[in-house]
Amino acid sequence: MNLSGLLVAVVGFSSGTVPHFDSEILPVLTRAGCNTGACHGAALGRGGFRLSLLGGDPAADHEAIVYELEGRRINFVHPEESLLLAKPTGELAHKGGLRIEPGSDSAQRLVQWIAAGAPRGQLRKLIHFEVQPEARVIEKVGSTVPLRAMARFDHGKIEDVTPWTVFTASDPSAIEIDDRDTATIRRRGQHVVLARFLDRIVPIRLTVPLTETPVDLSREPRSNFIDDEIYRTLEVLRVPVSPRADDVAFLRRVRLDLTGRLPSPEEVETFLDERSPSKRARLIDRLLASEEFVEYWTYRYAQWLRLRTLPAEAEATWAFHGWIRQQVQQRTGVDRLARTLLTAVGDSHREGPANFARLAADARGQAELVGSVFLGVRFQCANCHNHPLDRWTQDDYHGLAAVFARLERGRTVRVGARGAVTNPRTGEPALPRIPGSEYLQADRDQRKHFADWLTARDNPFFARAMVNRLWKAMFGRGLVEPEDDLRDTNPATHPALLNRLAADFVEHGYDIQHTLRLIARSETYGRAATTTPANATDDRFYSHAYRRSLPPEVLADALADVTDVADRYGDLPLGTRAVALVDPRTPAPALDILGRCGREIGCDAASRGGGLAAKLHQLNGELINRKVADPNGRLHRWIRAGKSNDDIIESFYRLALSRRPTDAERKHWRTQLDGATAASRVELLEDFLWALLNSSDFLMNH
Amino acid sequence: MKNRSAHRSDGATRRDLLRVGTLSALSLSLGDWFGLRAAAPTPRPGKAKSCILIWLDGGPSHLETFDLKPDAPSEVRGPFRPIATNVTGVRLCELMPNLARVADKLALVRSVTSPLGEHAIANSYLLTGYKPTPVLDYPSFGAVVSQQRGGKPTLPAYVAVPTYKPTAGSGFLGAAHQPFAVDSDPARPDFRVRDLDFYPGVQFGRMKRRRAFLDQLDRFQRTAEEASVDPGFEQAYRLITSPQAKQAFDLSREKPEVRARYGPRTVGQSCLLARRLVERGVSFVSVHNPDWDTHNNLLLNLKEGYAGAKVGVGLIPSLDLALSALLTDLSERGLLDETLVVVMGEFGRTPKLNTSAGRDHWPRVFSVVLAGGGVRGGQVIGASDRIGESPTDRPVTPSDLARTIYTLLGVDPSRELHTPDGRPVPINQDGKLIEELLA
Repeated sequence: MNLSGLLVAVVGFSSGTVPHFDSEILPVLTRAGCNTGACHGAALGRGGFRLSLLGGDPAADHEAIVYELEGRRINFVHPEESLLLAKPTGELAHKGGLRIEPGSDSAQRLVQWIAAGAPRGQLRKLIHFEVQPEARVIEKVGSTVPLRAMARFDHGKIEDVTPWTVFTASDPSAIEIDDRDTATIRRRGQHVVLARFLDRIVPIRLTVPLTETPVDLSREPRSNFIDDEIYRTLEVLRVPVSPRADDVAFLRRVRLDLTGRLPSPEEVETFLDERSPSKRARLIDRLLASEEFVEYWTYRYAQWLRLRTLPAEAEATWAFHGWIRQQVQQRTGVDRLARTLLTAVGDSHREGPANFARLAADARGQAELVGSVFLGVRFQCANCHNHPLDRWTQDDYHGLAAVFARLERGRTVRVGARGAVTNPRTGEPALPRIPGSEYLQADRDQRKHFADWLTARDNPFFARAMVNRLWKAMFGRGLVEPEDDLRDTNPATHPALLNRLAADFVEHGYDIQHTLRLIARSETYGRAATTTPANATDDRFYSHAYRRSLPPEVLADALADVTDVADRYGDLPLGTRAVALVDPRTPAPALDILGRCGREIGCDAASRGGGLAAKLHQLNGELINRKVADPNGRLHRWIRAGKSNDDIIESFYRLALSRRPTDAERKHWRTQLDGATAASRVELLEDFLWALLNSSDFLMNH
Repeated sequence: MKNRSAHRSDGATRRDLLRVGTLSALSLSLGDWFGLRAAAPTPRPGKAKSCILIWLDGGPSHLETFDLKPDAPSEVRGPFRPIATNVTGVRLCELMPNLARVADKLALVRSVTSPLGEHAIANSYLLTGYKPTPVLDYPSFGAVVSQQRGGKPTLPAYVAVPTYKPTAGSGFLGAAHQPFAVDSDPARPDFRVRDLDFYPGVQFGRMKRRRAFLDQLDRFQRTAEEASVDPGFEQAYRLITSPQAKQAFDLSREKPEVRARYGPRTVGQSCLLARRLVERGVSFVSVHNPDWDTHNNLLLNLKEGYAGAKVGVGLIPSLDLALSALLTDLSERGLLDETLVVVMGEFGRTPKLNTSAGRDHWPRVFSVVLAGGGVRGGQVIGASDRIGESPTDRPVTPSDLARTIYTLLGVDPSRELHTPDGRPVPINQDGKLIEELLA
């Protein structure tokens, strides 16, 4: 329902009625900053006065204000002398300084409420909260936009709650918000202001186009709704797009993203020779159906699900890994996959999915794992207090932990007869709870309940978290970053696109292949990585493809493929690929230096790499040097077989860069190599190959 | 790139003009302005050439290290007693007998306060002076110093021993100013920085040729807009080809008695390596000392190190040896005046002991220690209350601390940095210089 049309009828707070504690007094305190984590909202309160963080627990706050200290905070005879007023208005010394102007609307509201007996009042529920504008495009830096907020409660009245709403710019140097709730835009770009009222947080998008020149993308080809959404944003921001990537660039990119491998020279030739207009779509289908897709996406799933070995229980890991591989192969919808993982029991050395429960040390750890993996939500903060940036309460956190409280996590995973999680807020055993939603009956295995809720078609988190991960796998950046931090206060760059992708994913049976295909077929995915001066600085609106480093395992495999020198990982058979390693702790110094993910925490947060140590290793360590010099490697075999310089150079270009050398390049290498003695020729060729494998076109996906 | 540096070079003049402008807008006359200037002590540009940051990762308990509360109730007091030091009235934890002998070199700030009590965001605040925001990834001290000092030193300007947290990285300043992580434990007898020595068969001459080949290849591949050379490559190449760089990391060149003085554990040998590096011109060395997140068993973690230890080898005795040796060594070599030493973590610990005999996160008040590099030693700045819960005197924010560290290092904190898309960000936003710290 749209409330803004009715705004004419809205009057602000009317002086005749008694302010309602939960919905009219708490917001005053929130807006004044009284209940933030740095002040009275801290776990131990401040100066002996403790409020719930951002008003999360109105009953406790009412108790604290009205009854604690024998009611000294409230003076019914002289309301304006109440500590509740005298402190924040500066009448009495207050370490937090002046928070509420004496005589302001806020102060008057508090006086009225105390004069009326400081009642909690009957409970009323916030039905709808709306801001104005929700989004606006502004032409000029320096323009101002008045912000308004409206609320409707279950008694039906619409109220202008602007003065009691907290507006925060996510980038304070781009947007200034003054005391009268007017936003001034200081920089070009897409900016977000968050409006917080009671438990609602709504984003307001204020955009100043990045350039002066209009951008019209109506004639750009489009494959599906991804392009519609991406173009829409680019037009608003006036960022032009780069052209389509050429066939070689596209083939290399999609091959790396879907299978983690470089295309072979023959594959490149065949693809270039193909004349069909639908050849890119056919290529995508072929890759999705390949065995290499299964191998690579098993690796990606293993990272997502944090698969790792428990001490001395390799069988368990093999069972888990084998099961994951099977799911990828059979295209099991991730809804079914999640349900199986959440409810699995049995001998973890045989039942692969039972290992998921064992990745966490206890029920709380599992709540956090499930939050991160399936909901894309970081619950950790809510262990000790309500999440300050999100909607999650301590009851949510411990309630979700309680869902897993009875689980026994030995070799055999089973639901035990007892087991509880103490909610530190109450000191009582936490009641099992769907976070943000409802308490569960204690009579059945609540994990099934939770799985039902998680995989229901209208679950607001699961599908969005999943498609965000898939998007990131294909573009190197999530629509929400970091990928496991979906929350109202961290909005997506393209919220409508995220929602459409999620709905479409649910519609198609939670099939990742469907969404990967959709993304791979979009014009947006198929853009060149080259930029124009007008879109060179874009790193989040997809006007061009972004260059990104290969994941450590993919790079190691690519080096082995080009040189035909395999790595040895632990005591595994020579030739085992890095992406096929089941245990992320398999000894592999090179992978460690390149920054592989150990999977103890989410791989998104863990990624580092790219540092000087990795660079030193690439230039001067074993990684490339050993392969270049290996007497049984491709280079030395070719030299021994009498292959010509030209031939060797061209073949390595095709293997590593998927293209032939240009005439200029051919000429350059000829001048370097001509007339060399046999011994120096070998060294020169080694140095050429070393340089090729250290060149940025080889090291990057682009 | 060119535009950016031009931007900065005239920055100072314009800022001065602006400052006058702002003041007159606040209806102060120019006379007032000069009057104010004369009254306030003029901050001299810092003289410290280098900084060693000993990062106590996880958040060290102020109540067990630099701010003990012997008169507080037992649930606050904790397991250790204070001891006297060579500065009258300044007391430290009994597990710090060596530091107690060099306390005249230390400035203890006991009133640092922050609202952030979660590791990652608190880390970020302490290491950058900025509260983290999702839109901007701020650079940490080491990266800013590296960027501001500029030049092309053979040794990296910012070295992390043995490792670093992502929050101690270069943020929007990019890969060129990431710390070089040694990634190998200096306390191990076979300590060597990996991949620093030439790969067998590829000596200097060949390395030079390979580099020329690679340059040529990248020139062929390069598209117009990516004209810059990979700064990581440049740095790596300089390191590999410089004998002096290799010596800097070679701890075996230190006398055994010097090595012994720092203590046999990682933090000690890391401090020794840090000294070797600043001696050779590295601008910023961070020593990563983990495991201070002591939610349980303070006695075991802070003192003993392992159950039943006769001589404590826990976090505090190890730090005591390392830090006291570092200060003495720097001082004996005449390096202390030009080397700023900072010791801190991301927050303090709760006043009340928890049920696991540990303490939880507590950012509202905690202690930071500075020494050398133009810091006046032998003093305590600020104070916490009776139970170490809140600052009672002279609260200091991480932003104040950042401004002070930059100032001591001769980096103008009001200078602007630029993000890759050209946005100006001051090195420090609203910190206030801790004047008393300056010698």
